[in-house]
Amino acid sequence: MNIELSDEAGEFGRQALLAFEQAGGDALVAIAEAEPDRRESLVAPVLSELGAWQLDPRGDAAELEAAAALCRSAGYWAVPYPVAERLARPADLDADGLLVVAGPRPSASVAGLSLRWAAVTLDGRRSLAKARVPAEPARLSAFVTELDLAPADENGAKDVALGLVLPCWTLLGMLDRAIQLAREHVLVREQFGHPLSSFQSVQFQLTDAEVERSGVEALAKYALWSIQDDIPETVEDALALRLAAVEAAATVFAVAHQLFGALGFCDETSLSWLSRYSEPLRRLPLGRTATLEELTRRLGRRGLTGLYSGPAASSLGVAS
Amino acid sequence: MGDAATALRGELRQLVADQLPPNFLGAFTDDPADLDVTQNFCRLLAERGLLCLAWPPEYGGRGASLWEQTVVREEMWAHHEPRGAQYMGVNWVGPTIMRHGTPEQKLRHLPAIARGEVIWCQGFSEPNAGSDLASLRTAARRDGDVWRITGQKIWTSYATMAQWCFLLARTSRGEKKQHGITVFLVPMSSPGIEVRPIRSILGPHHLNEVFFDDLQVTEEDVLGRVDEGWQVAQEVLAFERVGIARYARCERLLLAAPAALGDEWDELPAELRARWARMLMHCRRARLLAYRVVAHQGEGRVRPGEAAPYRIAVTRLDQDSAEVLMEIVGHASVSGEAAERFRQEVEDHWRYSRASTVASGSIEMQRILLARSMLSGGRTPPDGSARLAVA
Repeated sequence: MNIELSDEAGEFGRQALLAFEQAGGDALVAIAEAEPDRRESLVAPVLSELGAWQLDPRGDAAELEAAAALCRSAGYWAVPYPVAERLARPADLDADGLLVVAGPRPSASVAGLSLRWAAVTLDGRRSLAKARVPAEPARLSAFVTELDLAPADENGAKDVALGLVLPCWTLLGMLDRAIQLAREHVLVREQFGHPLSSFQSVQFQLTDAEVERSGVEALAKYALWSIQDDIPETVEDALALRLAAVEAAATVFAVAHQLFGALGFCDETSLSWLSRYSEPLRRLPLGRTATLEELTRRLGRRGLTGLYSGPAASSLGVAS
Repeated sequence: MGDAATALRGELRQLVADQLPPNFLGAFTDDPADLDVTQNFCRLLAERGLLCLAWPPEYGGRGASLWEQTVVREEMWAHHEPRGAQYMGVNWVGPTIMRHGTPEQKLRHLPAIARGEVIWCQGFSEPNAGSDLASLRTAARRDGDVWRITGQKIWTSYATMAQWCFLLARTSRGEKKQHGITVFLVPMSSPGIEVRPIRSILGPHHLNEVFFDDLQVTEEDVLGRVDEGWQVAQEVLAFERVGIARYARCERLLLAAPAALGDEWDELPAELRARWARMLMHCRRARLLAYRVVAHQGEGRVRPGEAAPYRIAVTRLDQDSAEVLMEIVGHASVSGEAAERFRQEVEDHWRYSRASTVASGSIEMQRILLARSMLSGGRTPPDGSARLAVA
């Protein structure tokens, strides 16, 4: 595997960052929340212009990386549109996008969009999904709504990993941005006559967040490689990424809010929006505890594939 | 990592399986036989050209790739560092002498290190100069043709076993405390050196104090230029930038746990098995962060702040995984040789991990380096710029 995205994917991600910025940047999510009917028209044309729907993340490794880079850029601006979910659309079902669902009340952040959805459970059962009209306004729901599912087939085993991994790239983009915002804030905000960044307690909080973000970045790339190579443990790799991403999000947003102080809760700051709209990604389809439970169940006694899994360990007389 | 690195891993694992006694826990035990094991192992590695793999061919090495060096770090640390004290000579003493040594110094020291015949210790830390290394006070005074050295070093690993010391001493006072430091290559058998072992949680022979009382060395023992040793020390620290592959031992022990516990594994509390799974994710995370540093090294663009996330993640992993493993073995009632061996390995790992956030640059120093990098604009928005081949 390559440890970082290709040059081409990186460049595509940069173009997407710029395109989202020109389309409104931070204002996109605020406009969509105030006028939910405009959600699709605000974002879909930008994605079409970028050529997002020509990407084939299931068929081509380079395009999978480009799709990941696009999701990351969308996360950076908290773009109010299910970019990752649309990019994960199944090849063999008549649907515009794919949602991984779990639990007794399948839900997703897809309210108010005129799109046809497929849903897949972690054990590969697929359905055609229809979003209900949300019970709460976007202000409270962040566009999350329950889904009505019509069973389709049980052929979704290969959908699960992609459906889990691409949203983690969106969340990674949010972590990138949250740390960037926190960094900029502590450099300019002064207390006791000094910038906050001069206080070691502030610096160390920032580094804690960055270690978590770096780890997600590394695992996110690994999970792409796992999908590209279609290795048997690809869902485990996706769950390991998801666990790291959800844990990192808790740390990064806690640190960013703490460093911003009360200002970080105000609508005038981007952090407040980013924090709120990260919540569906952190909670759905599985929160931290449920993700860890599922990963543990799948690993059994075998563990996560690594340097010493498989025959090598027993050949050393260690695990025999 | 490539075919060469994969083949090397297989070769090293076979050597470990063939040559190390099953209960080997490193060189720092009370049993002198363990030191002999490491010395024999090093000679064997040297005979096969594996000890100084990374060295250039003109000094007896193979010019191995950074990925092959990574494999050596992983396999050796995973199996309780069977090179014992030798790894320092190989990893940084030799390469530093190659860069700064006189022809006579190279001839004297490099072949001995390459044959695995000599142990070095690092005379850096002092009672009042740990993380703030440049505050060191051990003083070297020129007296005619000799240098007279007086002072104290502390936390000096291998000092009881070492034949040579790579010593930093103050030779003058400059405008900055980093100025006026000189490197000396000191024979440990010289009169005027006293080593006092410090018994510790890390093992009976690990930590030492070293006292220098009017030790006399000559101009020939100076490495590089007088008063410019700080730059040499910085290079030494750069050799250690990736540091110990702690994740490899963590992962090996975690993955060995279910088999060591047998049927009792399934009776562990669900929360403990979940913590075990989480630690495996953290092992992978640390390994990938290490590989990123290695990949950047290959491009010659690694800075201290870039290695810091890895160093922070891996030292925390070391301690967290040790806690989980200790709890796992605490739940087991299984007996038998293999289970007992596993318990001893875990206990050793736990004790040793206490120091991982302190040794080789404290976690606080890593956080300072990272903060400096972040706040000076060292980070950029996501771009995934470089394409770096890992495997």
